[in-house]
Amino acid sequence: MSRPANIVLLIEDESKIRRFLRAGFELQGYTVIEAENAADGLKAATFSAPDLIILDLALPDLHGSEVLERIRSWSNVPVIILSVVSAEDEKVRLLQAGADDYVVKPFGMAELLARSEAALRRYFKSATENPVVVAGPLSVDLVTRTVSLNKQQIRLTRKEYRLLHILATHVGLVVTHDQLLKDIWSGNQRDNIQYLRILVRKLRQKIETDPNHPRLLVTESGVGYRLQARLEDIAAD
Amino acid sequence: MSLICVGLVTAILMLLEQPVAASLVPIAYLVPVIIAATQWGIWPATLAAIASMAAADFFFFPPIFSFQVEDPQEVIDLLLFLVVALVSGNLASRLRQETETLRQREQDIHNLYDFSRRLAACFTVSDLIAAIENYLSRTLGQQAAFFAARTDGHFEPPKSASVPKVVQENVTSGIATAGAPPKNLVDGPTQNVWLLRVVSSETAVLGLVAVNIGTGTSEAIALKTRRVEAILEEVSLTLQRIDIEKAMEDARLRLQAQLLRDAFHGTLSHELCTPLAAIRGSASVLDSMPRIQKDARARSLVEAISEEVAELDGFIHSLLNATRVTAGGVSPHLEWSDPRDILNAAIKGRARRLATHKVETKFAEDLPLVNVDSGLIEESCGQLLENAAKYSPSGTTISISAKSKQGDVVLSISDQGVGITPDERLNLGRRSFRGQRHQATVPGSGLGFWIASVFVGANGGTIDITSPGQGLGTTASITLPGSAMKHPEPTARHQ
Repeated sequence: MSRPANIVLLIEDESKIRRFLRAGFELQGYTVIEAENAADGLKAATFSAPDLIILDLALPDLHGSEVLERIRSWSNVPVIILSVVSAEDEKVRLLQAGADDYVVKPFGMAELLARSEAALRRYFKSATENPVVVAGPLSVDLVTRTVSLNKQQIRLTRKEYRLLHILATHVGLVVTHDQLLKDIWSGNQRDNIQYLRILVRKLRQKIETDPNHPRLLVTESGVGYRLQARLEDIAAD
Repeated sequence: MSLICVGLVTAILMLLEQPVAASLVPIAYLVPVIIAATQWGIWPATLAAIASMAAADFFFFPPIFSFQVEDPQEVIDLLLFLVVALVSGNLASRLRQETETLRQREQDIHNLYDFSRRLAACFTVSDLIAAIENYLSRTLGQQAAFFAARTDGHFEPPKSASVPKVVQENVTSGIATAGAPPKNLVDGPTQNVWLLRVVSSETAVLGLVAVNIGTGTSEAIALKTRRVEAILEEVSLTLQRIDIEKAMEDARLRLQAQLLRDAFHGTLSHELCTPLAAIRGSASVLDSMPRIQKDARARSLVEAISEEVAELDGFIHSLLNATRVTAGGVSPHLEWSDPRDILNAAIKGRARRLATHKVETKFAEDLPLVNVDSGLIEESCGQLLENAAKYSPSGTTISISAKSKQGDVVLSISDQGVGITPDERLNLGRRSFRGQRHQATVPGSGLGFWIASVFVGANGGTIDITSPGQGLGTTASITLPGSAMKHPEPTARHQ
């Protein structure tokens, strides 16, 4: 891997968790900074200019969502949330507050690394200026608005393309229902999730090998959808 | 008695010398009068006074042995004696009465104090009833009976105490309400007055006390009534105290249960989940290390750690769900979902468990969306999948299907396992139930199916378990109410 050493800031009060996160990230060539509380974390976020922040929600001095809000008030740095709460509402709230993605404890390192890479890729996207998003056998050219599956161009309706476009610009990251609905529909229909479910079904018919077992456009139960950067089987740990 | 006293004094005086006796006579005769007054009251004292005067005149004033009096001075003496005797007798008897009343009052207060001490030791209603009966019957020497209130509003006749028919009838025909007026009844044959009083707390009518306060003047009856009422007053205060104590005890228990649950929840989600997350994460980092990847033995050990952690995590997850259910905290967050997504997520979540089985899925093309909490339904499907994997031999097939049936959506999970007996089927919905056959051989908490059925129920669905027989496999089906949506692109807004 030839990428420069990205700096990752771990804001997590449990030393046991920090220990394996450091090992996992360092193994992948990241430079790791640790902070064991919100105050230290915010300081490090300001002075060390990290490329990525891994933020635990249960901090002793300040709730993680508060930390996220403060970081977001001056920075767009990718933030991935670590949470023991599997409640969907909480996840959606955090994503809307500006988190790039989340993982629920207990998680495997591969999962966190995949999310981290996706978040970083999106963060540095303007620099690379590559208008073509590749997700497994699927490639989406954001400029020419063409979609091809296994090098074969496929035709999508306007709404299907809109959906795929949003997911492609966040490839590897979760996109909430709310965000999708707002972008695709307008007016009083935009909070109706049934449209989205149906639209996803139709899009899956066109891009998935087996629409009943989607491996590209996957559902994040209660939260939203995610376009996998690679086929799910390969990405899973 | 007064007359005997007078006679006795006369005899003593007769034995003495005449002159001495004459001067002693009037004073000596005061003694029987005062004794009679203090011992037996005003009328015996008056009788004693008159008898004394007569005896003095007859035996000691000349002419002796005659009621005639010679000396007019002696007539005055005798009359003076009578007046003094009557007045002192009256005073003495009044003193006696006062003392008597005071003693009675003291006894009453003492009894009441004893009673309230007994009441203070009453913590249940039955304690209280025993105290009332005991106090009224033994301490006051009055017959008392307690009629317990029944839930239908009538009173239950007491088992032991004998109560006249008229009281019996009056009570059993009455309706138990706190507002029933107090009543006094007269028992025909014995002319005993029975007092009927309802015993009630602020919240409930406990019963009715019938007290026999005997016969007597209306004044005596009123006095006894007051005494009984003082006792009942005390009783109703105690009842209120018991009520309050009971409410407080209930609240304390509820609070404790709540605290325990919260503590359990907090402990599980933090004290257990954090180390677990550290182990899982560390194992996954180890697994990706080149040195470990080269070593097959090390890899298999890391694999084992990961598997055990997943197992433990699943177990903790079940317990958390169970506390959630027990706490009454299942409030589904309904959202239109694709049944396929739910099943796929459940299969993915249990991938490790299903690894040794062949998994087949069959989804109907025309599946409608369902308006459910996808998290809860996914969890339920996961539990059923886990059971299917647990109770069927590895290598067999687990078939998962989703189809629409008369507008409803049916998710089915079929295995080729041990099946289920009719007896086991009856007990399935019970928390912590585990079939006798499997307790020793298959690990589990018995929570899985219970959690699944509660979660599905919260979403308005049902779970059905069928089995063609022992050893012939089991099919678990979740039926979810279908959507009102028929067209792929609806125009009406739902919710």
